[in-house]
Amino acid sequence: MLRRGLILFVLVGFLTVAGTVSAHTPLFSCFDNADGTIYCEGGFSDGSSAAGVPIIVKDASGEVILSLQLSGNSDVEFDKPEGEYSVIFDGGEGHDILIPGSQIFE
Amino acid sequence: MKRGFLLAGLLTLFLSAPALAHFQMLYTPESALEQGGEMSLKLVFTHPFDGDHIMDMDPVQEFYVVHQRGEEGEPQKTDLKEYLSEITWKGLDDAAGKAFDAKLPARVVRSMGDYVFVLVPTPYYEKADEEYIQQFTKMIVNVGGMPGNWHEPLGLPAEIVPLNKPYANWTGGVFTGVVMSNGEPVPNIEVEVEYLNVDVDIAANAFVGEPKIEAPHPAFETMSVMANDKGEFTIGLPKAGWWGIAVPDVVELEHDGKEMVQEAVLWIQVTDIP
Repeated sequence: MLRRGLILFVLVGFLTVAGTVSAHTPLFSCFDNADGTIYCEGGFSDGSSAAGVPIIVKDASGEVILSLQLSGNSDVEFDKPEGEYSVIFDGGEGHDILIPGSQIFE
Repeated sequence: MKRGFLLAGLLTLFLSAPALAHFQMLYTPESALEQGGEMSLKLVFTHPFDGDHIMDMDPVQEFYVVHQRGEEGEPQKTDLKEYLSEITWKGLDDAAGKAFDAKLPARVVRSMGDYVFVLVPTPYYEKADEEYIQQFTKMIVNVGGMPGNWHEPLGLPAEIVPLNKPYANWTGGVFTGVVMSNGEPVPNIEVEVEYLNVDVDIAANAFVGEPKIEAPHPAFETMSVMANDKGEFTIGLPKAGWWGIAVPDVVELEHDGKEMVQEAVLWIQVTDIP
């Protein structure tokens, strides 16, 4: 069910990095819920689901804090880590989408 | 005898005057957003090609958004009437009319996907025709490139359902839609098309500047195309900006002792290829 197609255009939370567009482009976005939790959602540019895609949360040193998966609704919620962190949409080798915690806003 | 010629002359002048096409606008500067956040919408009843003749709007009957993230997402309807405030909108002719502004908080348009905004205005009484007009108006915004419900009918009494993403059209392309009433196609009906031919000053609540195009003939101001027997129509998109598509007289009924026509309006945005 997972679609790991070409990643030529990456949406990084609220910071968009422009590139060439193709079908089945993975998309990932996170918000700070302002209640101590972070909400992330994923999907693909053709509207298909990203359910089951691994989501990894790392601290400033690169250590894995959390290993999660997008739900059947292609989203996930977790407690906001202390200090610097990043959230990674694990779309396959060389095709990850990383969102630094500093770019996750309310 | 002279009086007869004068009358005939005036009648000819009147009949050759351009038809005034009313378009309920539901405006925001950009419909393809890279990210969600706070958003401002303007609700103005006007003639978009001329950018004048602002008609007074009464408090709206309905104003909501239907959001869907992805093809498999569940559509979610959010009432937006609480965010409306009355404003005065000024046209290029300096005449002004009552309009509305909607300032939406970030939480309304935050998630990726499609946002189908729907405006159902209070019927407008057109004195010249002695009838009420009610235009069911849609404008669709996308966040983050993830599509959703842009092509789903909402079952409105009068509605244009897009067959192209209405927020992703290149200049020189075409746009196809279906005219529907209560979820059923309306065959062989006339569709009107107008270009928003003026700049919009969001902060000043006004149309500003000079018209972008000078039409060589009134027929180019409000263009017409007939829907086929399936209610489908196609239009060309020769210039970047906002295009209004309206279907007059989809439903005819009675309101407040007068005739009333319910019409469909859809706004689409066209972008130049870089």
